[in-house]
Amino acid sequence: MMTRLRRLQPLLVCVLAVGLVLLVGSAMESLRAQAPTVVRYWLWLDDPTEPMFDQLVKEFNATHPTIRVEYQFVPLSEYHDKLVTALAAGSGPDAGRFKDWWLGEFVKLNALEPLPTHIAKWPGRADVIDNLWNTGKITEAGPVYMMPHQFITFYLYYRKDWFAEAGLRPPATFDDFLAAAKKLTDPAKNQYGFGLRGGAGGQDQWLAFMVAGGARLVDAQGKVIVNNAEGVKANQWYIDLFRVHKVAPGSAPTDAYAQVLGAFQSGNTAMFAHHVGSSVLVTQKLGAANVGVVPIPAADPKKPATMATMAGNVVFAGSKQKEAAFTFVSWLSETAPMDKWSGSRQGQLPVLKSVAKLSRYTENIFFKVSLDGANYAVAWPPLPGVGYVSAQGWQANMQRALLGQISSKDMLDEIAKALQR
Amino acid sequence: MRSPKRSSAEASAKSGRGRGWLLPLFLLSPALVLLLGIVAYPIVRAVWLSFHRLEILRPDLTEYVGLDNYRGLLQDPVIRIALQNSILWVVGVVLFQFLGGLVGAVILNRRFPGRAIVRGLALIPWATPSVLVALMWTWMLDGNYGLVNDLLVKAGILSRFQPWLAQPWSALPAVMLADVWQGIPFFAVMLLAALQAIPEELFEAARIDGASAWRVFLHVTLPLLLPTILITTMLRMIWTANYMDLIMIMTGGGPGYSSLTLPLHAYYTAYKRLDFGYGSTIAIVQVLILAAAIVAYLRQLRKNEVMVQ
Amino acid sequence: MKPYSLHRSWAALKLWIPLGAWLTFVLAPYAWMFITSVKPPAELYTKTVRYWPSHPTFEGYRLLMETTPFLTYMRNSGIVAVSTCVIALAVAMAAAYCFSRIPFRGKGILLFGFLVTQLFPSVLLVLPLFLIMRSLGILNTPPALILAHSTFAVPFSTWMLTGFFNAIPRDLDEAATIDGCNRLQTFRYVLLPLSAPGVAAALTYIFIYSWNEFIYALTFTADLRARTLPVGLQTFMGEFIIRWDLLTAGGVITALPIVFFFMLVQRQLIAGLTAGAVKG
Repeated sequence: MMTRLRRLQPLLVCVLAVGLVLLVGSAMESLRAQAPTVVRYWLWLDDPTEPMFDQLVKEFNATHPTIRVEYQFVPLSEYHDKLVTALAAGSGPDAGRFKDWWLGEFVKLNALEPLPTHIAKWPGRADVIDNLWNTGKITEAGPVYMMPHQFITFYLYYRKDWFAEAGLRPPATFDDFLAAAKKLTDPAKNQYGFGLRGGAGGQDQWLAFMVAGGARLVDAQGKVIVNNAEGVKANQWYIDLFRVHKVAPGSAPTDAYAQVLGAFQSGNTAMFAHHVGSSVLVTQKLGAANVGVVPIPAADPKKPATMATMAGNVVFAGSKQKEAAFTFVSWLSETAPMDKWSGSRQGQLPVLKSVAKLSRYTENIFFKVSLDGANYAVAWPPLPGVGYVSAQGWQANMQRALLGQISSKDMLDEIAKALQR
Repeated sequence: MRSPKRSSAEASAKSGRGRGWLLPLFLLSPALVLLLGIVAYPIVRAVWLSFHRLEILRPDLTEYVGLDNYRGLLQDPVIRIALQNSILWVVGVVLFQFLGGLVGAVILNRRFPGRAIVRGLALIPWATPSVLVALMWTWMLDGNYGLVNDLLVKAGILSRFQPWLAQPWSALPAVMLADVWQGIPFFAVMLLAALQAIPEELFEAARIDGASAWRVFLHVTLPLLLPTILITTMLRMIWTANYMDLIMIMTGGGPGYSSLTLPLHAYYTAYKRLDFGYGSTIAIVQVLILAAAIVAYLRQLRKNEVMVQ
Repeated sequence: MKPYSLHRSWAALKLWIPLGAWLTFVLAPYAWMFITSVKPPAELYTKTVRYWPSHPTFEGYRLLMETTPFLTYMRNSGIVAVSTCVIALAVAMAAAYCFSRIPFRGKGILLFGFLVTQLFPSVLLVLPLFLIMRSLGILNTPPALILAHSTFAVPFSTWMLTGFFNAIPRDLDEAATIDGCNRLQTFRYVLLPLSAPGVAAALTYIFIYSWNEFIYALTFTADLRARTLPVGLQTFMGEFIIRWDLLTAGGVITALPIVFFFMLVQRQLIAGLTAGAVKG
């Protein structure tokens, strides 16, 4: 009897061991299931002292106990570069705020996760304004890579008080615009009609005027046509504002956002092109009575156009928590978080139908003009070369053209070349 | 019998030769570990990158192109402009930083009440973060409401406001002005330190001989400062050659390419065109140019026995 | 011969005029930054240049301290800068002593090699350095920055200190050896005191470099655990909103620790240290 037991001992030990392993294994499984998945999210924020985003994240973490979002602010001017470095080192975030400027570039690098399967399971998808999905795609038939979140369309600020004093109507056509700018330019008083922005970031407003002038970056098939006859003409008109008519300050070639905003706020310029992101600042300084807003004037009033750009959210291909990451970024595009973001000091246009019809947006003239513009707005095409053009390519060539070093056609040829890379 | 002095001098010389490599190795090893371990890899990698064409996140698209990048560099019209700008930038900035720092060092060496505070204040340009230096100077140089324009017009030197940063001929000089301002305290501190090593007796002797302050400076101070001046200037030139923060924020290399320097061009190529291969090539060419300049410089120093062995 | 009082006033003018002019140039932009920091937002952009605000306010400073992690950034900057000073200075002094006082083969090449690392723009070194930091597991911690800053500060400081050590005559070393000192004692009692100005200069350089360094700080840090002042200040510049109040207040304050640091360190920059050394 004893010897039989002793012979069974190894078997008993094995059974015990297997049982222990199974027990521990299942315990660990359940433990892992309980520890929240960490989603690392990057973003730039206009005013990081504002608690809006921190509150949103806390709310999300509280309502989604299996996910914990950890975020990092990166200044926009460094955002792209820091992202490239981190992704190249295999150490990038799981998800992040993103600009349509970089979409083509990053998709070519296989850095972004295609989202259709995730979106199909997302209940909020029907609320997104339909044509805005295209801002996150490379081809119309292809997958969405970027969740729409906040977008802007360009419009024109003008000094209502100066226009009234000079007996001018707010400009609706290119001719109106030029006439008004000329009338309001007085170099002796350091006063100019239009704050043309040739420096960093000025490519967006340039594009707005280009498309309003009848030019297009790409045709319906996606071929680059910016340097065709219409393009050269529209570009020449823009250059002439500075070189021929001199309605822009002498610093225009290198003026960046701080300078054009500052010039308008200090009463050095009568008009400047921007979007709803600055509306609070502008009216704060000058008073709502003195600041008016109109759509970008068009060369042909029957064919209005303006420029739109989308700041969305992406999930990175290298992430190990894609589901959780998508849960967070799609949550940001749901009604309440969207309203909270759009309604904040740095808010832009909401992408949801439910939010866009709230009175706080429809009754705000700046939001209203922006949203109307969305009906005919053109965006940067999702070409890989847009990243470079928007960062340096446009700036260097625009400045050379403004200074007369190269012609309008040369400038557009350079841009076409860069876009096609 | 040998004098005790000679024998112990011999002994220490002998021991130096005998343990020839052990002590130097021990003393140098932290520095060497730091440099070889941390910096050698990036340098080797940069060299490797310059021989390839690659897409940053697509290792499958990396291809070896030999000297293609270097050949492309010779045909790149922007390189010539960037090189010219770099030379102007380095020479101009370091020269004026040095002059301003020399004046400062001589002044701060004199004894006067409150000297400690003044010396502290003198460091402010060097202590200010570069982003603020760039922003403040941009604001002061503004063509609409800038301080510099206002003062020049009020003083009657200018008739109207100039957009300093938007004109091709004045953009780089304007940024150079900001960098000169930022760097003067560096030279002031280095030269001040070197001034302390000049024995008082030499000044006394010169003064007793009836030399004026200017001649004392020219014939006593300057020659004795020369070693420090030459080394500090060389180090500063290397650092300035690679310093692009101010240019990037104030003009972005513009208008056009008029304030673009080599490192800025390399940076844009790598991070904006996402062409790390060619970007590394530009950086390496700059390294080679700088290295050649330094070797020539050092040979000259050694000839004049400046680096006393 | 001039009357004594006239002589004194002339001498005073010869000091105070150049000093005043030099100091004005050196401090004017900083003063402008300070003025901007006390301007209320409404007075920031005026058509003509406004020198002094009509209603100065310190609200920017209050907001900076209370609503931003400025003090945390300052703490991190302090930790990194002081640590870098200690480590880089120790390493550089050892290397400089070696280059200056010990003959060995390949010294010239090695000294030159120290410089080669400086010849590269840091933006191109960032990516490989990032990989190294990641594999060492120190990303987003102060040691990553201390290491990165030391790699830059050590070669520069070694060169500077070598120059300052070389300026001290070898007779003094030999005199000390005769008196019975070994190398370490010679270093401690002869070289170090006499090169105090050079050490002070090197220390200042390392501290300022580390305090204001941006690109490595941006790339290797993610959040408040390690983020330093230069990166923190940059976050006040948004896409459309630039917080001039926070930026300029931050700029004014960021420069001050260095000013105080140097007021202490500059005590080493007094003449007369070598006086009598050879004779004695």
